[in-house]
Amino acid sequence: MTLDGAQLAILANRFEGISRKMGNTLLRTGRSGVLNRAKDFSCCIVTRDCELLAAAESLPIHVLSGPDLMARAMQQFHPRLAAGDAFLHNSPYHGCSHPADHTILMPVIDDGVHHFTVLAKAHQADIGNSIPTTYHGTARDVYEEGALIFPAVKVQHGYEIVDDVVRMCQMRIRVPEQWYGDFLAMLGAARIGEREILSLGRELGWDRLHAFTEQWFDYSEGRMLAAIRKVPGGHATALSVHDPIPGTPADGVRVHAEVRVDPAAGYVDVDLRDNPDSMECGLNMSEACARTAASIGVFNSIDHTVPKNAGAFRRLRVHLREGCVVGIPRHPTSCSVATTNVADRITSAVQRAMSELGPGVGMAEVGCVLPPSTAVVSGVDPRTGKAFVNQLFLGATGGAGSPTQDCWLTMLHAGNGGMCYIDSVELDEVYQPIEIRSRHLVPDSEGAGQHRGAPSLFVEYAPVGCSIEVGFVVDGHINAPLGARGGLAAHGSEQHRRKASGELVPLPQSAQVRIDEGESIVCITCGGGGYGDPTERDPALVRHDVAEGIVTAARAASIYGVDIDGSTPVTTRRNG
Amino acid sequence: MRFSSDTGGTFTDLIVEHDSGELRMYKAPTTADDPVRGLLDALALAAGDHGEDVAAFIGRADMLIHGTTHAINAIITGRTARTALLTTAGHPDILVLREGGRTEPFDFTVAYPEPYVPRALTFEVPERVAAGGVVRRPLEEAGAVAIIEQLRAKEVQAVAVCLLWSILNPDHELRVGALLDEHLPGVPYTLSHRLNPVLREYRRASAAAIDASLKPLMAAYLGSLTQRLDEAGFRGRTLVLTSSGGMLDAAEVAAAPIHVINSGPSMAPIAGRRYAGLDGASANAIVADTGGTTFDVSLVRRGRIPLTKETWIGQPFRGHMTGFPSIDIKSVGAGGGSIAWVDDGGVLHVGPQSAGAAPGPACYAAGGTRATLTDACVVLGIVDPAYFLGGAMKLDIDAAREAVRVDVGEPLGLPTDDAAAAIVQVVTENMVQAIEDITVNQGIDPADSVLIGGGGAAGLNAAAIARRLGCPSVVIPEVGAALSAAGALMTDLSMEHHSTFFTTTEAFDLTAANAVLDDLSRRCRAFVDGPGRGSVSHTIDRVVEARYAHQVWELDLPLHVERFASATDVDGLVDDFHRLHEEIFAIRDPASPIELVGWKATVRCRLADRELGRLRAVDSSQQRSGTRRLYLAGTGAVDAAVHRFEAMDVGTVHAGPAIVESPFTTVVAEPGCRFHRTANGSLVLDVSAQAREVIR
Repeated sequence: MTLDGAQLAILANRFEGISRKMGNTLLRTGRSGVLNRAKDFSCCIVTRDCELLAAAESLPIHVLSGPDLMARAMQQFHPRLAAGDAFLHNSPYHGCSHPADHTILMPVIDDGVHHFTVLAKAHQADIGNSIPTTYHGTARDVYEEGALIFPAVKVQHGYEIVDDVVRMCQMRIRVPEQWYGDFLAMLGAARIGEREILSLGRELGWDRLHAFTEQWFDYSEGRMLAAIRKVPGGHATALSVHDPIPGTPADGVRVHAEVRVDPAAGYVDVDLRDNPDSMECGLNMSEACARTAASIGVFNSIDHTVPKNAGAFRRLRVHLREGCVVGIPRHPTSCSVATTNVADRITSAVQRAMSELGPGVGMAEVGCVLPPSTAVVSGVDPRTGKAFVNQLFLGATGGAGSPTQDCWLTMLHAGNGGMCYIDSVELDEVYQPIEIRSRHLVPDSEGAGQHRGAPSLFVEYAPVGCSIEVGFVVDGHINAPLGARGGLAAHGSEQHRRKASGELVPLPQSAQVRIDEGESIVCITCGGGGYGDPTERDPALVRHDVAEGIVTAARAASIYGVDIDGSTPVTTRRNG
Repeated sequence: MRFSSDTGGTFTDLIVEHDSGELRMYKAPTTADDPVRGLLDALALAAGDHGEDVAAFIGRADMLIHGTTHAINAIITGRTARTALLTTAGHPDILVLREGGRTEPFDFTVAYPEPYVPRALTFEVPERVAAGGVVRRPLEEAGAVAIIEQLRAKEVQAVAVCLLWSILNPDHELRVGALLDEHLPGVPYTLSHRLNPVLREYRRASAAAIDASLKPLMAAYLGSLTQRLDEAGFRGRTLVLTSSGGMLDAAEVAAAPIHVINSGPSMAPIAGRRYAGLDGASANAIVADTGGTTFDVSLVRRGRIPLTKETWIGQPFRGHMTGFPSIDIKSVGAGGGSIAWVDDGGVLHVGPQSAGAAPGPACYAAGGTRATLTDACVVLGIVDPAYFLGGAMKLDIDAAREAVRVDVGEPLGLPTDDAAAAIVQVVTENMVQAIEDITVNQGIDPADSVLIGGGGAAGLNAAAIARRLGCPSVVIPEVGAALSAAGALMTDLSMEHHSTFFTTTEAFDLTAANAVLDDLSRRCRAFVDGPGRGSVSHTIDRVVEARYAHQVWELDLPLHVERFASATDVDGLVDDFHRLHEEIFAIRDPASPIELVGWKATVRCRLADRELGRLRAVDSSQQRSGTRRLYLAGTGAVDAAVHRFEAMDVGTVHAGPAIVESPFTTVVAEPGCRFHRTANGSLVLDVSAQAREVIR
């Protein structure tokens, strides 16, 4: 059965529509702030062969690789799937990104035959870790991390919830009714996906849908091939370094990415094998995140219209090593923080290596996470007497300069692609007993370039009427985000406790701290690196940045070589 | 006699409603440089049709209802006032950071949007109100006055004020307003808590900034409109359509112009609701309005039209969210002018690029060479090249065939007819996806709804859309080509009042809730006694914004009581919420407390006491019928009967394949589809019996 170009377009649109419908449902019904305020979730569809088909509007780090591995684990552990089954999966040893990303997998089964699998994955507010954070940076292993691990565990049978698992979670996960609300929302979203695909299959015939997936993958592979052929061929390596925390070497986690683009053969190869072994901390990659982070770096660097699915992935080979910090982890290595910190270093190294291949390719380094403005906060709310735990999303900028544009300001971090929402100050003050004192951009903190990166964000907040616990794992203080192709590095991160006296005391980069009433927590998030030589930046854009208070006149003169108000340029412009 | 006008991108629609109830419909080209002229042109056209002197004709009318795109166009083209934003100290980047979010994570070719008010014109007021409304830092008046002096120095033309928690304690915003009156007299300003008292500072700040920035311009526009109407002989009342589906006197709009951002499109569901009830026997409707460049979808759920605060000017996450209540309309770039193209991998796309009105589709022979939806329809025989716009414009079928062959047929290896059919199918699916995005968010099941087709291009594929969605029937109202102008004649003078008050069903504060409701009722009655004076009747609808504990997205839950008499009324509210949540999201959580956050009362004053009448009967000698060759996907070429819309008998059931034509629209009835005209003048297509085979 051969479908023509119109039929392919229509079916692709319908599958994307289904994954979007699942996402819309999840957003509107979720309970935790990390899900419904920040939109830290993804919904997607994989084929019966466990290949990624559609993931509309998902977070990149959640889906490029992972859904495929998780669906395979589901099939391996449950060879006989039945309609009405659903599985909870968060095991980084079996394909999940990290334990905080609870995922519901639901096979789509018609007349006993398995045709597709739908997934709903959402970062949880709490997963029962040994400390109240979903990012346990200093955990030596999964035991110290403390997460309940579910390697594709059945949670629905015959469309009914398996209460045994729910009871276990309720005895371990903090604020269990919030978790249960999110669990129901994920089941609801996946169920909508299942129903929609069932009705599509019954309308058009399963043979046609399977024929479509093959031809759509071929089409996507062709688009990927065309995109690769637009990139100058060659080979480049780049290094990106995560700051040291307890459990890492003293010089941090040094991530080398070797990128080889062969336009004639039509392949991109990313080799991450020449990197250190797994470490006794929570920064190790899961296999899903290692593959995905490398893929994001490639897709950020080429024609963005290539469909991201298993067809395009045929032309992208990511080489990993077992037992490597950026490879395939062996149990009980902790992958608590796998979706963000070191993953972003992989992406940054790959896209900076890509930028070495020639002009118009690649991207600078995106700002690092996880600053206290995105901390997990917990405590007891004095207004209600109830316990709370949730991740804040007060903002992190971090967007990097690219070949054609300045940064997308609110990137948050590389793996997220700017998809997450940012919390309203007022909403955060309602949901947690905190006051947001200040939230503003920091002048002269951008990664300068022909296309500049994001400036840093300054955020300060304080508990109101109580003490709170604040957990974070910050990167980018020592190794600030680098520029590419002559672009400069951005301002790095800082975090402090402001004591009642007003004195600022620096805080460690990976910490779980208690902030008492009268104190506050102060953070400056990373900016993003610049792309291209800043002296080639359009002077009109430099003047606009000065007028807007992003860049001072002095910096315009010293870095960009633009005279704003009679200040003499101390650098010579290459352009204009 | 009443006039209703809607200024669209291409045409200015005018409906004249006589006291007898008879309607007459006119279309004049929109004059973007001076939109009032387009309206006066349409009025002159109507006067001519009535054989009357323009001034005398206009002088007979007692009301003109006006839909305008002037406000939104000013924003899109950057012609708004030089506007400053005053925010709480420490929070200058509310409009820069927005609420985050993005649509395409790998697309770095699109610039991050500039804030609606530049940082250079954003000022931090020394003050802070904390959550709960307690003053944490008193307003430092000297600091505020110093800021106002800077506003003067920077020659600011409008000011928006949005301070944190002003919805719970407006004292500081009010005081800043008084200082502006005192130190910067004559410069209009908007206080966020007055305009848009909702939680989430970005939405308040954005609404206030947009509103303030429009004040000088809209005051001038509405002043000019009323003055020129007066000069043209008009002696009646001028009302302007609002984004929330009501209307307001021109003077009130000048004071809060954000109300008219979606003036016009908001009327389509008002009209759709009426025809869904009359001709579709359904309280649920999907209202699709297809023009030359955009496809707008809105909904009716159980007789109510859902509102949203997440209305974007421009594309989501790349434009500006108004944060202000507006009828929920999903708009996509799909219309007669949408361009069809095949990518380097051999997949067909239609839009979002549009040939627009100029150069237009290839068949216009006005310089356009690329294949569009209209060209496909000409190739397929859906559009009669000799009878476009009632014959006012001749189309070049050869140019259409050539464009479709070269742009789509050859790259896909399809014969031209099949290529044209493929274009229509892809557009249909794009439109279906737009509909599904909005129906899933509003919890509407298309199988339980009627599809209302409005706009000139609706009939081309309305039946195909309905089949794909599982809607059993399609209603094309006789005024469908001017659906918004028709809706304007059905709507009421209205105003929404809003209060923020948090309580939960776990510990329901009956006394405080009643105090809030009483205050809303009082404000509604003041509107009835003010702008609504002399109205025929009025209604007040009350809604509470409610959610399960820990959720953050509220649902609008209709209240069936004016105030809570007892705990029993509260139990009723709880039951209603569980039912609504399940209806929209397919799950309910009976163990969860329900949080009540915002309280709204909408007052509607009916200004005319008659139902909308019928279009004037036409001279049947104009009838043009017979058969035409139609090429349809799956079926191939068929001979289709051609019916003239206005001349069809009431009640006679016809079967497709057929085409129903009027000067304003063309409707396709595919084989197996049955259709008839109703006593209300609408065309109803029954697609339920058809096989749901979409892809051949």
